[in-house]
Amino acid sequence: MTSAEQVNRLLALVPYLQSHPDAELGDTAAVFGVAPAQLLDDLNVLWYCGLPGGMPGDLIEIDMDTVAESGRIRLTNAEYLSRPMRFTPDEAMSLVVALRAVRELAGGHLAEGIDSALAKLERASGAAAAPGPQVRVVSGSEEIREQLADAIDAAEAVDLDYTGAGLAPSTPRVAPVRLITRDGFGYLQAWSLDRAAWRTYRLDRVDAVRRTGEPAGDHGEPPEFGPGWLEQRPDAAEVTLRLKPSAAWITEYHPIRAVRQVRGGIEVDLLVADPAWLRSLLLRLGRDVVSVDPPEAAAGAAESAAEALAAYPAG
Amino acid sequence: MSTRKSERIMNLAICLLMARRFIEKTQIRQVVEGYHDLSDAAFERTFERDKDELRAMGVPVETGSNNPLFPDEVGYRIRRKDFELPAIEFTPSETAALGLAATVWESATQAEQAVSALAKLRAAGVDPDPGRLGALAPSIGAREPAFASIWAATLERAPVRFGYRGTPRRVEPWAMTYRRGAWYLLGQDRDRQAPRMFKVARVDAAAERIGKPGSYRVPDVDLEAAWRSLEPRQPDSEAVLALRPGRAPDLRRRGRPVAADGVPAGYEAWAVSYSRAADVVGEICAHGADVVVLSPQRLRRAVVTELSATAGRAS
Repeated sequence: MTSAEQVNRLLALVPYLQSHPDAELGDTAAVFGVAPAQLLDDLNVLWYCGLPGGMPGDLIEIDMDTVAESGRIRLTNAEYLSRPMRFTPDEAMSLVVALRAVRELAGGHLAEGIDSALAKLERASGAAAAPGPQVRVVSGSEEIREQLADAIDAAEAVDLDYTGAGLAPSTPRVAPVRLITRDGFGYLQAWSLDRAAWRTYRLDRVDAVRRTGEPAGDHGEPPEFGPGWLEQRPDAAEVTLRLKPSAAWITEYHPIRAVRQVRGGIEVDLLVADPAWLRSLLLRLGRDVVSVDPPEAAAGAAESAAEALAAYPAG
Repeated sequence: MSTRKSERIMNLAICLLMARRFIEKTQIRQVVEGYHDLSDAAFERTFERDKDELRAMGVPVETGSNNPLFPDEVGYRIRRKDFELPAIEFTPSETAALGLAATVWESATQAEQAVSALAKLRAAGVDPDPGRLGALAPSIGAREPAFASIWAATLERAPVRFGYRGTPRRVEPWAMTYRRGAWYLLGQDRDRQAPRMFKVARVDAAAERIGKPGSYRVPDVDLEAAWRSLEPRQPDSEAVLALRPGRAPDLRRRGRPVAADGVPAGYEAWAVSYSRAADVVGEICAHGADVVVLSPQRLRRAVVTELSATAGRAS
């Protein structure tokens, strides 16, 4: 932590404590994203700050005894710092990007609220701000997202028209829990009532949502869907592909555990939880695949390719 | 971080903010706690550094003279209207969206910036409330090794140098965007003297500054048009495909049913549009026997070649 970071926080802390009298130490630390010990440090710095001249009556007053006894903060004698400083460009841009990411998952009236909030923030940040980054997530239609969010709010089970990674259509009945983004794609996290297990559904592959009128039921908390979520699936198996250089795009579009440059191409380690997904990936890569390890992992795709070739007359 | 230094910079900020006129350095030295005991040279050095730190934090420290006849008598002040966050009011649906924004960033640095911006809003009396949007959990990553250096250079308008897939490039960053899980930079390529788009994941290492912040102007470019170049191209060709009923909804979405000759039993004919032959071959192969190409002949041959390679890989 640098002095600049601390001063930037102090300039917001002083107005915050004046507009939230008797604020609790832990809550305040959480608002500012720091540990309570750091916030105590901040208060000790403020204790020596005040109007120029440094006479006793000029200093900001904090009742440190009350802080120690009850964890409540009362700060006075700083009316001249009753409003926070403007956003720094980094703060403004980080907040705008975050809101735009929320926007990509939202639908309907919520989306309108985000648009108007963004417009207000942009006005408040002034002309100093660089053009804010655009954010685009592949998250299907706003209508589907709104239907899902409504069903989540109503705790109601839904039937989906869905096309999975293995490209087979299905109509799962699910208890929808939340909409999330991961690596630029929007997903529905839901309890599959057919399979009695947690599942994620890519929003752009949901073709329709039908309300069932059935209660969603309580299935606990869904598993964390963080970076490397695939690795937590116990049924995931590691497969290594050796590929021609022209297939290097896959490292940017698929979750890859490791990439190695090898003679005449690359070698990638993938975690495969769904054999249908690997089958369609190998079919898509075609001649770009040099070898597959373990070799039996290629069998499904080979069979499927042979079946497809039978539909084409010889020659 | 030194507590003393934070105190001194905070007191300097308050002193300049309370000033009705420009305050000269000698006066600042007298009234701001922490400058009294320094030697002349040490004071000069310390004051310059503190002032620069305030400016780097975004505090608008103005330089000027109170006396038009003696413009050399330089003083300093902070104008309240440039310093304070302007009053903004948010509707309940706007504050709900703002509350969610704190949790969006996966990158700790940017998350801190967003939290800091929200703390300023709270200090100004806004109360972001994420409770109402429990159904949404958006997130945005920044795992590219060069992300932080390029983000900062874009904010500060600082020209940079970096290796791009092994080639050295010199760039004036204009704006960034996030699409499909990847960050992109648009900027002026100094060597090619033309705007270029860079995928941040392909930047070899952290970008290196080759000029001062604010040392170029971002021209009034049509960012929307630039970002559109990252979208898939509009389709300009059409294939006739035989699809198994209910299969390949991704291809159906950009097609329509047609009448055709030579449709295998158990299939139906669809006309499907595409833009790049290389991409559509992979898309078709991925479906295995669910999709058979009827025309054009070139596409049919290309698909058969790829499928044969995959079929030959039986273990």
